[in-house]
Amino acid sequence: MTSPEPARDDTTGPATPVPSATSGAPSRPPLRRPTTGRRIGGVAAGLAAHLELSVRVVRVALVLLVGLGGVGIALYVFLWVTVPEGDPFAPDERPTHLSRLVRPAAGPADAVVVGYGLEVPRGPGAPDPTVGPPQVGRAGAAVRTLPVTDIAIALVLIAAAVVLLAVRNGAHLQSTWVVPTLILLAGTALAWSQLDAGQRGRWRSRAGGRTPVSVLRLVGGIVLAGAGVLLLVGQEMSPELLLQSMVAALAVLAGVALVLAPWWLRLVRELGAERTARARVSDRADIAAHLHDSVLQTLALIRSRADDPHEVARMARAQERELREWLYDDRPAPGTSLAAALRAVVAEIEDTRSGPGGEAVVIDAVLVGDREPDADTEALLQATREALVNAVVHGRPPLSLYCEVGPDLIEVFVRDRGDGFDLDAVPSDRFGVRESIIGRVRRRGGSASVESKDGNGTEVHLSIPVRAKEDHAVRAAPGQPWADATEPVKER
Amino acid sequence: MSEPVDVVLVDDHLMFRAGVRASLDDRVRVVGEASSVDEAIRVVRELRPPVVLLDVHLPGGDGGGGAEVITACTDLLGETRFLALSVSDAADDVVAVIRAGARGYVTKAITGADLAAAVQRVAGGDAVFSPLLAGFVLDAFGAAAGDIATGDDELDRLSAREREVMRLIARGYSYREVASELFISIKTVETHVSAVLRKLQLSSRHELTRWAAARRLI
Repeated sequence: MTSPEPARDDTTGPATPVPSATSGAPSRPPLRRPTTGRRIGGVAAGLAAHLELSVRVVRVALVLLVGLGGVGIALYVFLWVTVPEGDPFAPDERPTHLSRLVRPAAGPADAVVVGYGLEVPRGPGAPDPTVGPPQVGRAGAAVRTLPVTDIAIALVLIAAAVVLLAVRNGAHLQSTWVVPTLILLAGTALAWSQLDAGQRGRWRSRAGGRTPVSVLRLVGGIVLAGAGVLLLVGQEMSPELLLQSMVAALAVLAGVALVLAPWWLRLVRELGAERTARARVSDRADIAAHLHDSVLQTLALIRSRADDPHEVARMARAQERELREWLYDDRPAPGTSLAAALRAVVAEIEDTRSGPGGEAVVIDAVLVGDREPDADTEALLQATREALVNAVVHGRPPLSLYCEVGPDLIEVFVRDRGDGFDLDAVPSDRFGVRESIIGRVRRRGGSASVESKDGNGTEVHLSIPVRAKEDHAVRAAPGQPWADATEPVKER
Repeated sequence: MSEPVDVVLVDDHLMFRAGVRASLDDRVRVVGEASSVDEAIRVVRELRPPVVLLDVHLPGGDGGGGAEVITACTDLLGETRFLALSVSDAADDVVAVIRAGARGYVTKAITGADLAAAVQRVAGGDAVFSPLLAGFVLDAFGAAAGDIATGDDELDRLSAREREVMRLIARGYSYREVASELFISIKTVETHVSAVLRKLQLSSRHELTRWAAARRLI
């Protein structure tokens, strides 16, 4: 077969993988180890894709190369370590800063999950039921790739155990360095496979928690390599001497670790700092992408609705509010900020309501202080909402909302500049103001008043006392001032 | 009708300058415009207008924006007064220009008539507080009722009356409405507001110094 030629050609490939793959020959897929359709590490499959050959040809070539003094193995390991994992046929490997936003939810990500789901040792021939049947087109390849890696590792380990047993029982191997070297190599391979598994582990941890397999690999590799080294070095030694040298080696290792610890710590810290920096950059990119998108949309909408001034004003106001929120607010987590909840209420009213003449609503909200919402503030929030709606419908702009969260009192003022109205003149059977605003707040032990200044607008003043958390249990007790207020309401 | 007030308009957006020009009534006359920190300093020093309408975010200079313009014109503060005009809601922006010496802070959503009134008020030596700025003051000085200044010389706390005035302004009351609500004269309201402005500029309350430090003002 002519296969050795292309394989040898490609030994120069990894040295300059990216430029030749992306700029030099655009038609040729880049050298990547695919996660699907692989037997061991995906090297052959990746090579085949890159060289545009059949996978079988590459595999046979590699096997033949093994005969050439183990060149095939060396080449395979070298490529395994140096070639990054990925889909050679992915449209563009370079991540753009917006690609995170459009990552498809189902396609390639699923394939990755299936890929390593089958790689994880679960006992030969027993595919994980939770993975389920992979996509039909891929099923054949997936089944074939099943536990090859694990079987190979198990075979190596079993062979090593058998050899060790044989040596113990007096069987004398010809070349005494072969077995220890093999053990050493197996250990190194096991530990190095970490590099491969590490990438998938990262995917895994995003998808749902990582398994201790990677740790086992590392520990097993270290133990194997250590055993190999000991056997290789200490063949002629007496057990005492071996023990002594082991202790000495461990001491040296510990000393080196002690010396290197600061560097290692700094490295870890810098890595962490870099990660946060990157997270910040991507956060900023998120904001930029979001803003550009929404602002452009609003502008397009405004242009198409240019004949409707009220609608244009409303959209402009909504966009302004959104921008402000993104630019100047801390964006507290939902459910932790009364001020944020109040702003949401204002936003909802500005978006959905319009004034008596159909004009857009603008509410000047000034919020002082903040606290975590609870049932009391929820009632206050609803009452504020009703008051604002009332002001929008019956009052005249400008509308002002002022909320002050004090240490023992939360106060809300809603003001409009309408003609005002006389609360006593409102029939008592109308629930509007009386029940939805005043009743709500009084039931929570607060007070509410509506003040109309002749021709100078109406101001609704709501206030509820702030209670410490442990006081909440008291609320159900009879005889409390707010319990009295509750009674007539329940009768309705 | 009294003489119109001459103002210099400083903003880096041409469109916004045109909009302000068009919305101002005959109580105000725009005598100069500038679009960057350096240009603003030059124009203000040359024209010495009674009032400068100043954007908070400006290009040029050392990157200090409007606050830098005021700092560079500190020696003119006796005759030239600055009214900050901004779209920003951010506390450190507000505090930065006020502590640099601005006599007031209004948002760009203000109507032309209100802006003209604010310019007149600033020209008369009074402070201009929008509801938002009053809210900031209450936030920064603590809305707690127990935290009340007892003497006039106390800079780090508001007096009970000042707090009341600030709360009414934050509720959307005009100076006139505040006056009638508290049964005091408009002049007294203006005195209280100016006192609050002075505290805002000189106080060493850590909320204020923190915000100012964020803009490297101190």
